[in-house]
Amino acid sequence: MYNVYNSTKVTEKAKALFKEERAKKRVDGWFIAREIVANKQNEFKNLSKEMRAAKELEAIVTELPITISDNAVFAGSQSDAFARSYALINPSFRVETFSGYCDPTAVYDDIEPNEEFTEQRINKVREFSKNSAYVKSLSAVYDKYSNYTEEVAFFIEQVTGHIIPDFRPALKYGLAEILKTLDKNIAETDDDYKKDNFKSIKVALNCAVILANRYADIAVEKAKSANEKRKAELLLLEKTLRKVPFGPAESLYEAIQSYMLLWEIMCLEQAPNPFAFSVGNADRIFEPYRAADGLSREDTASLLKHFLVFFNVGDRSWAISQNLLISGRDIDGNDLTNPTSYALMDAYFDMNLPQPILSVKLHKNTPDELYAELGRFFFSPGVLTPSLFNDDSVFEILKARGVSNEDLADYSVAGCQEPLIMGKDNGNTTNSWLNMPKILELCLNGGYSMITGKEIKKQDTPDTLTLLKNIREIFYTTLNSYIDEMCDAANGASKAVSELPVPFLSGFMGGVESGYDMRDTENQGTKYNGSGCLIHGLSVLADSFVAIDKLLAERPEDAENLIAALKANFKGYEELHAFLKAAPKFGNNILVVDNEAAEIANKVSDMVAAHKNYLGNPFRADWASPTTHLTYGYWVGATPDGRVAREQLNYGVDPLYGEAGGGMGFRMLSNMRLPFNKMGGGYASHLGIDPKYFTAESFEGKGIDFMRRIIKPLFFNDAMGDKVAPFYLYVNVTTPETLRKVLADPKKYAPSGVYIMRIHGTFVNFLDLSPEIQQDIIKRLDPASTTM
Amino acid sequence: MQLKVFGKGFNFSQDGPGNRLVYHLKGCNMHCPWCSNPEGMLCDVGDFYILTKDELLSEVLLSKPMFFEGGGVTFTGGEATIQFDSLFEIIKALQENDISVAIETNGTSKKLSQLFPLLNHLIIDLKHPDSNKHKETTGISNEIIKQNILLAAKSGVDLLIRIPLIGGFNTHPEELNRFIEFLKSIKGKNVKVEVLKYHEYGKDKWEKCGLEYKMKDAFVPEETRISFEEKIKSVGLTVIRT
Repeated sequence: MYNVYNSTKVTEKAKALFKEERAKKRVDGWFIAREIVANKQNEFKNLSKEMRAAKELEAIVTELPITISDNAVFAGSQSDAFARSYALINPSFRVETFSGYCDPTAVYDDIEPNEEFTEQRINKVREFSKNSAYVKSLSAVYDKYSNYTEEVAFFIEQVTGHIIPDFRPALKYGLAEILKTLDKNIAETDDDYKKDNFKSIKVALNCAVILANRYADIAVEKAKSANEKRKAELLLLEKTLRKVPFGPAESLYEAIQSYMLLWEIMCLEQAPNPFAFSVGNADRIFEPYRAADGLSREDTASLLKHFLVFFNVGDRSWAISQNLLISGRDIDGNDLTNPTSYALMDAYFDMNLPQPILSVKLHKNTPDELYAELGRFFFSPGVLTPSLFNDDSVFEILKARGVSNEDLADYSVAGCQEPLIMGKDNGNTTNSWLNMPKILELCLNGGYSMITGKEIKKQDTPDTLTLLKNIREIFYTTLNSYIDEMCDAANGASKAVSELPVPFLSGFMGGVESGYDMRDTENQGTKYNGSGCLIHGLSVLADSFVAIDKLLAERPEDAENLIAALKANFKGYEELHAFLKAAPKFGNNILVVDNEAAEIANKVSDMVAAHKNYLGNPFRADWASPTTHLTYGYWVGATPDGRVAREQLNYGVDPLYGEAGGGMGFRMLSNMRLPFNKMGGGYASHLGIDPKYFTAESFEGKGIDFMRRIIKPLFFNDAMGDKVAPFYLYVNVTTPETLRKVLADPKKYAPSGVYIMRIHGTFVNFLDLSPEIQQDIIKRLDPASTTM
Repeated sequence: MQLKVFGKGFNFSQDGPGNRLVYHLKGCNMHCPWCSNPEGMLCDVGDFYILTKDELLSEVLLSKPMFFEGGGVTFTGGEATIQFDSLFEIIKALQENDISVAIETNGTSKKLSQLFPLLNHLIIDLKHPDSNKHKETTGISNEIIKQNILLAAKSGVDLLIRIPLIGGFNTHPEELNRFIEFLKSIKGKNVKVEVLKYHEYGKDKWEKCGLEYKMKDAFVPEETRISFEEKIKSVGLTVIRT
């Protein structure tokens, strides 16, 4: 292909293509896709739901308007699969009004009607959607549990996206081989249900061939009026599209093209909610093709820049939380970093795009070179920073979860930080959300909300002193009863989602072998399956328990006043408030409260894991709070640790902002006491890093310092013995003053309009964020916790 | 057995090797006008708290995983040796628990040599080669300091002599030569020297403490430091930068 292109030209085109994408103020493709489906209903009504889904996808890829940009080196786009609605980057997002993604038809409110997309046209599709089995079934679940979800004692969610497909066999052998296997399976099985599923997958996979040919036809058409140079490019594209993904990819160019089309269709199948699909180890996926081509790092990077631009949708890069990993180890501890890993880093650094997220897998034998090359990401202001995973720990945790040795190196992260096995694991990751501080509030107040006074779930409460003395027991018992209901609700949502089978995706998730759709709630279509539970408020709860103990021990006469003080949000109880604030807080290397947090994490993880999902598999404890520390905190009254009503909760497993005043070392020590082996569903942790402590002159030197002073002590600390070490971290290397300057004068500090910061598992353009999220990032930099 | 502490936190490689948990002990017998921790100068004034031997020991033991790259505990100040008896006992207890201990001191304690066998690292400041000038500015003459440096060098303890270059105080060529004259008399592989340049990191703290910061025009050009470092090397001593 380098007879046609050179790397400089390819890079220029990638940059122009991104600019073009960011200029798109409307993304209506998803709506057209839904409309196509709505219009086909009569035609498909007698089919099984799996075959209907396959036929709907076929109709979409056949009818959806598609184009090839003049800047495109590859064909394919994700822009037709996403809506402009993701909360964090939606300027209209407000903590106080955000109610989760519980109404699947709310997305129709995010289209601005115009002459082409009239209100009437929008309403017609909305009505169709409202009457679907999926929406009806989901609405019934939300209605049943609304008393709990309104003030977020818990929350549940229908999980779409959040999967890592395994496209490697399709790249290597072509879809043709998979289609052959399906034919064989169809012929051999006597099970009609499976037979129909195999057939559905076949129809769905064939959609990739339809789409490739449509793009090829456009390329030919465009070539007719193109200049000689562009003509050569378009004809190369056409030739490639006639070959892949149906046939095997034999070069990096073909592999990327094949991958992009498969990804496009996977997203179209779930439009408008294909959030948080992940690529997995892109370096391992593409390296065999790079090596076969013998491509240089620079040439490889230039092609990969187009691959990265592909993940950006519209004016705010609406396709959020798509994760791409590099590096890591194999089961024997050998490092798997390869030339494509470095080329990807170059592509990321040069493009500095808001999506897709870069994550780096580390292990104790990660070469220094990798850390050195990471320095430029961490220490260039406004440049994306990768999140970091510790393979040595993740392998242990996944083994404990029952993952076979041969699958360990293939773990990837869905969305933010939840570890799943590529092509084999439906983790249903964001299925349920538990708000422990809210449940503590209810325990302290007889089951009534301290925010609204509303009865959430009445409970018998002993006198205050007895209540406080037995607070742990009462809390855990109450919590378990909430978890029971939460899991019922979450399973209800999963059953609703199963009304929307995904035969295309199932083709890359084990469905070709199992004969079951990966969303099937009665037959397990994937090798691994579970459901996620995101547990909120660890350190607020630990700090609260310890503050209650201190109160009982030192001022028992005041204990009676605690509940009144909480209800009054400490107004009139300032002295008691100061006493509670001064109690030991998690994050300062104080054993009593660190141990409390560890015990809570242990117990609650076990309680969650004892609950079964729709297939009888355990719920997975995930100690992450993707901005829900804000939205859930808003519904929690004052807590015994001295946190005031409606204030945010702690983020993930981190201390509440402002509470880890002893600096980075103490903060890490507290963190390292947590039982990470129990956090099989993942967890979130963030460190604000003040760049002034990293004084090496070069980026490479700073990268090595970062490894020595942050990563090694936290992830690979010999002094921790056999204890499973932390396995996830993201950082923001900046100071509150710097970010305030960027906000005050973006033209000066972010002339490109893009200033990347991290917020939970994803990175985002800081300037695209809603103001409350911008302030949260600034708050959690928490200068007192960064001293080193 | 307890210490008055006005600050603590981890620091990497600047207060002894590796990552070290640094305790700032209250009180100082000098009053250097450039001090970067003026809140530590007065013994019983300002914010501080009491840490018993057991509390400190337990905190240090809990912190062990962070003593990477040869780290441990460093006592600084204020002036660490102002609370000599408690410090002695606590350092002994830390050594019994295999914790690497460093102190940063102005070197004025007559009992300093009692600590040598207990220390992994000793950092002594030498602020001026001339005794009168030293006393004039810091309030204390330098005889004991020099004596302690010589004793420490001889004792074999890992010794870092720190010379802060303060413009208008100790950077005249004649003064620099007198530093060298003194350094010539020191031998031993256990000895290293570090030359620091004047900074104003503590300036705001003086104002917060209600004190007037009187230093002016004391910054030192990098060339002065480099040429001074070269001279120190030429008398056979190792120069480091942390």
